Amino acid sequence: MAAPDELFCWEGDWGLPSVSTDCLVVLAYAQFAGAPLKVRKICNPWRSPSGSLPAFRTSQKETLSRTSDIIIHLRKQKFNADYDLSAKEGADSLAFISLMDEKLKPALIYTFWIEPKNYVDVTRRWFAEHMPFPLNFFLPGRMQSQQLEKLRLLQGDERLEAGEELEKELYRDATECLNLLSQRLGSQKFFFGDSPSSLDAYVFGHLAPILRCKLPNGKLQQHLKSLDNLANFCSNILLLYFPRDGRDGCSQKSPPQPDAGDFDNVPSKRRKQLLSAVVALGAMLGYALLTGIVSIQHVQQEALEEPPDLEDMGSHEEEGDG
Amino acid sequence: MIRVNERVLLCLSLTAAEPWPENATLYQPLKGEGFFSSSCSLYHLQTYLRMCGLPVQVVCRPNAEYMSPSGKIPFIHVGNQVVSELGPIVQFSKAKGHSLSDGLDDVQRAEMKAYMELVNNMLLTAELFIQWCDETTVSQITRHRYGTPYSWPLNLILAYQKQWEVRRKMNAVGWGGKTVDQVYEDVSQCCQALSQRLGTQPYFFKIPTELDALVFGHLFTILTTQLTNTELLERVRSYSNLLSFCRRIEQTYFESKDS
Amino acid sequence: MNTTLSLGSVQTCFKKVVCLFCSCLTSCCRCQTLRRARERSTLSCDCHGVLHEGGLVVVTLATVRAPFSRRAESRTTCHKGLKRRPVAMGAVHAKSMDPLPMHGKDLGVNPDDLMEHPEPEPDAKQEILENKDVVVQHVNIQGLGRTKEDLLGYEISDVFNAKNLIDVMKKAHIARQRLLRLGIFKEVEVLIDTSEGADALPNGLDVTFEVNEIKRLTGSYNTMVGNNEGSMVLGLKLPNMIGRAEKLTFQFSYGTKETSYGLSFFKPQPGYFERNLTLNMYKVTGQFPWSSLKETDRGVSAEFNFPVGPTGHMLKWEGVWRELGCLARSASFAVREESGHSLKSALSHTMSIDSRNSAIFPSSGALLRINQELAGFTGGDASFFKEDFELQLNRRLFWDSVLSASLWGGMLFPIEGKPSCIADRFYLGGPTSVRGFGMYSIGPQSEGDYLGGEAYWAGGLHLYTPLPFRPGRGGFGDLFRTHFFLNAGNLCNLNYGEGPRAHLQKLAECIRWSYGAGIVLRLGNIARLELNYCIPMGVQSGDRICDGVQFGAGIRFL
Repeated sequence: MAAPDELFCWEGDWGLPSVSTDCLVVLAYAQFAGAPLKVRKICNPWRSPSGSLPAFRTSQKETLSRTSDIIIHLRKQKFNADYDLSAKEGADSLAFISLMDEKLKPALIYTFWIEPKNYVDVTRRWFAEHMPFPLNFFLPGRMQSQQLEKLRLLQGDERLEAGEELEKELYRDATECLNLLSQRLGSQKFFFGDSPSSLDAYVFGHLAPILRCKLPNGKLQQHLKSLDNLANFCSNILLLYFPRDGRDGCSQKSPPQPDAGDFDNVPSKRRKQLLSAVVALGAMLGYALLTGIVSIQHVQQEALEEPPDLEDMGSHEEEGDG
Repeated sequence: MIRVNERVLLCLSLTAAEPWPENATLYQPLKGEGFFSSSCSLYHLQTYLRMCGLPVQVVCRPNAEYMSPSGKIPFIHVGNQVVSELGPIVQFSKAKGHSLSDGLDDVQRAEMKAYMELVNNMLLTAELFIQWCDETTVSQITRHRYGTPYSWPLNLILAYQKQWEVRRKMNAVGWGGKTVDQVYEDVSQCCQALSQRLGTQPYFFKIPTELDALVFGHLFTILTTQLTNTELLERVRSYSNLLSFCRRIEQTYFESKDS
Repeated sequence: MNTTLSLGSVQTCFKKVVCLFCSCLTSCCRCQTLRRARERSTLSCDCHGVLHEGGLVVVTLATVRAPFSRRAESRTTCHKGLKRRPVAMGAVHAKSMDPLPMHGKDLGVNPDDLMEHPEPEPDAKQEILENKDVVVQHVNIQGLGRTKEDLLGYEISDVFNAKNLIDVMKKAHIARQRLLRLGIFKEVEVLIDTSEGADALPNGLDVTFEVNEIKRLTGSYNTMVGNNEGSMVLGLKLPNMIGRAEKLTFQFSYGTKETSYGLSFFKPQPGYFERNLTLNMYKVTGQFPWSSLKETDRGVSAEFNFPVGPTGHMLKWEGVWRELGCLARSASFAVREESGHSLKSALSHTMSIDSRNSAIFPSSGALLRINQELAGFTGGDASFFKEDFELQLNRRLFWDSVLSASLWGGMLFPIEGKPSCIADRFYLGGPTSVRGFGMYSIGPQSEGDYLGGEAYWAGGLHLYTPLPFRPGRGGFGDLFRTHFFLNAGNLCNLNYGEGPRAHLQKLAECIRWSYGAGIVLRLGNIARLELNYCIPMGVQSGDRICDGVQFGAGIRFL
């Protein structure tokens, strides 16, 4: 094969190899199966061959963007993490993957994209800071509306909105799902014995962001942390399969983060100040222009309507006098 | 926290004290209206309630889909409560003191839930796909049946609206680009998993559970519904243990009681 | 001599009118007198007498001179110029600042009443022209762009029938009003000139209408307040689209609750503006929290308006796709059962007579509106026959206070045994209907959601007085009234097996009524705000009451 398979995925942070669940699943699966991938971590979805992330470019220059397709492709390339599973275990992993799709995914979308505080403080901020210049203004917002649309379709509710009721419902499903996963895992190292399978990749991909990301509204995280075996399962995988990212995250996180945060903040603050000044100026100018036009029109209208009257009257008066 | 928990317990015990009312009503659209996915849920709900031994009256309403609080059909109206979908109904009947899965241990319950989601995730989506995204089925069967209760321009408008909505949903769950053959393949995969899990047992677990009701509902509908081609039917038929499972449940819960 | 004007004291009112004869701006000093004769404003300044629309009151200068001479002298200084101008300048500008509402009728001016007396400074040629018969030879319209001339032909043809100069002026004035009423011109000026050219007759006149067309596309932006909701409305209008006063309107409204849009096409019959056809296409969304109901209507309708004598009629066909849904999960099951899609195709007819002098604060006149609707005959799921009426009588009492009585009633008969839909039934109660009760919160209900009724009646007796706001008369104070009211009404469902007597009995028992007092504020000329202190009586179980202060806005009021 001429060129190795290429995987485009979101950059990592918070001690994770990537911030996106789907990317994490693919990365983890590739690691478990030992597939040699050329991983490109980018923060500009427009640079991916499919326009979205993750994207997978095969050696035949085919582009895959669905997680399941990528895994199937890897499996066909003989990188199969599920090789040792029995038929029944295969059925079980299919079932649990479905369980996560149905119960955990909506809650994940909600926590990261819909919950207003989390979205504004963490998700949007992260994407806005990492994306290149013009994109960071509109892409996060567009991604959010896409996710909201997706959640609406998944829940089958056209006019669903962030709110306590929705949150309660989604989190109830999600915590139930987490409990079930925890019960299924028990005290094992991985879901099916000692070696990781595709189910492990899925579970890791879904749980790791919840566990590692510091969210203002961290109800799911709290619950997950209380399930020791699942929390350990995630950190184990991070330690074993993504040692660099895990360490990076930790080392970056504990001492330099506040520092880096401050350092980061100053220019962004300046930029914000400048930006707000420009916006305010623009708005004022626009307003002035707008009202100016209106008033000009007004004057014109009056000029058209009123003076003839006056003239008329004036002329009559003259006539009358004369 | 403790006080809240106590209150919840109190609540549960109170509702449990209230017996299942005689006038419980199950609402469903007119026969054949939503034909595929709706009759699936009708069967699995009825099966579940029969397994629990809970009497229910079935009422047909053309607007059942819109009456339901979640937009899913059918739903039950018990006392002054309206509950739709299997999950909430199971919880509800549990609160009333009727439960099928009490005899299972934690791991089994986790597996049961997971398999239920597998059925929802794959079989249900596949049914919706065939019903609304396969052009021959849509034009020959679905559109006509869906529009039956409405008068002229509305029947077409609503059918197209529904089709559009289902297609968007398919895109959202990542099924947008699939072909019918891929969907048949998914159904096979799901049946394969179910068949593996069932093995030679009479039920998926030692006792009949909501999973059995759910699987029966879907498979029985697929087996008894006439489609434009028999591909789907053939795929399901190739799993003999699933076939005999369906027959067994039909005999136990439907034929004996209907006669 | 006409004696109408010689009686009564003269009071000043602030209404400005423009003299038809000399186009001077003047204050109407004879409103009082005139109003007594017939409620309308003058068309001319003091010195040129009073021309009354349809009222045959035309008073010559000489008649008026005696009692009003001073006033006339001081206020209007231009009248002397009038007589000379048709000759000297060759033109008369007829212009009005407040266009009269026209009803397509001729001014019933009897030529015998016109007694023109010569001015103190006589002009020979002028007099000849004035007393002699004239012939209108040409009528020109200048400034036409996309407007088709045949349309205007109908509106101005009457000018040719004028027999003398005054008549020409009057007819030209009417023609001008008729042109303005079409809503396609920004302004219209009339020039009357002696005919020139080869074929000019010695007593020939040319009338020229100088018009200024409205722009092809106009936009608007406003905020609207309806029954307890606000919205902002963006509108686009294409007036005079094809050239015959057609109008295409598009409205998009983004409301506090829902968005809606509407597209309408208006086409009047050329020469008979009041007979017109309107085609509509719309989507309207409404939320009705008192029923936990949400309704989205998408529909098309065709309306045909035509006057018959003093009555206005409207024939309408409407095809509407209604989508009902629950506003909240907690909605009652009775409302749930109603949700879903339905199609209504209905023919309706409305007859109305409105002789009130104002839509919001009438002081005299009556309104009768009768509406009947037949649904299901032309297709659709809903089938019923619905009949309702509205009657309002006003009478002026002492000190400008007004006694007003209104009565509403309606009934809905389901056809073919189909139960009536929640969206078709009647509702009662609220700050502008039966006061003292919650908005539409009277009658049959289920778990707190009001389901409406198939029959209702409501009556109200009001005493309006401008009293505390009297000092602001003529300005701010005209926006307010104080009122004392007594409202009553009932709403119920009928069982059609019981016969009409049982129905009447049912409507007569358990009557809800209320009384109180409050302040009414006029919002433009379409809506009003009320702040009332109400005392509800005859409350039945299930009714939601509003004991004490109640505030609300409404377009229709009891």
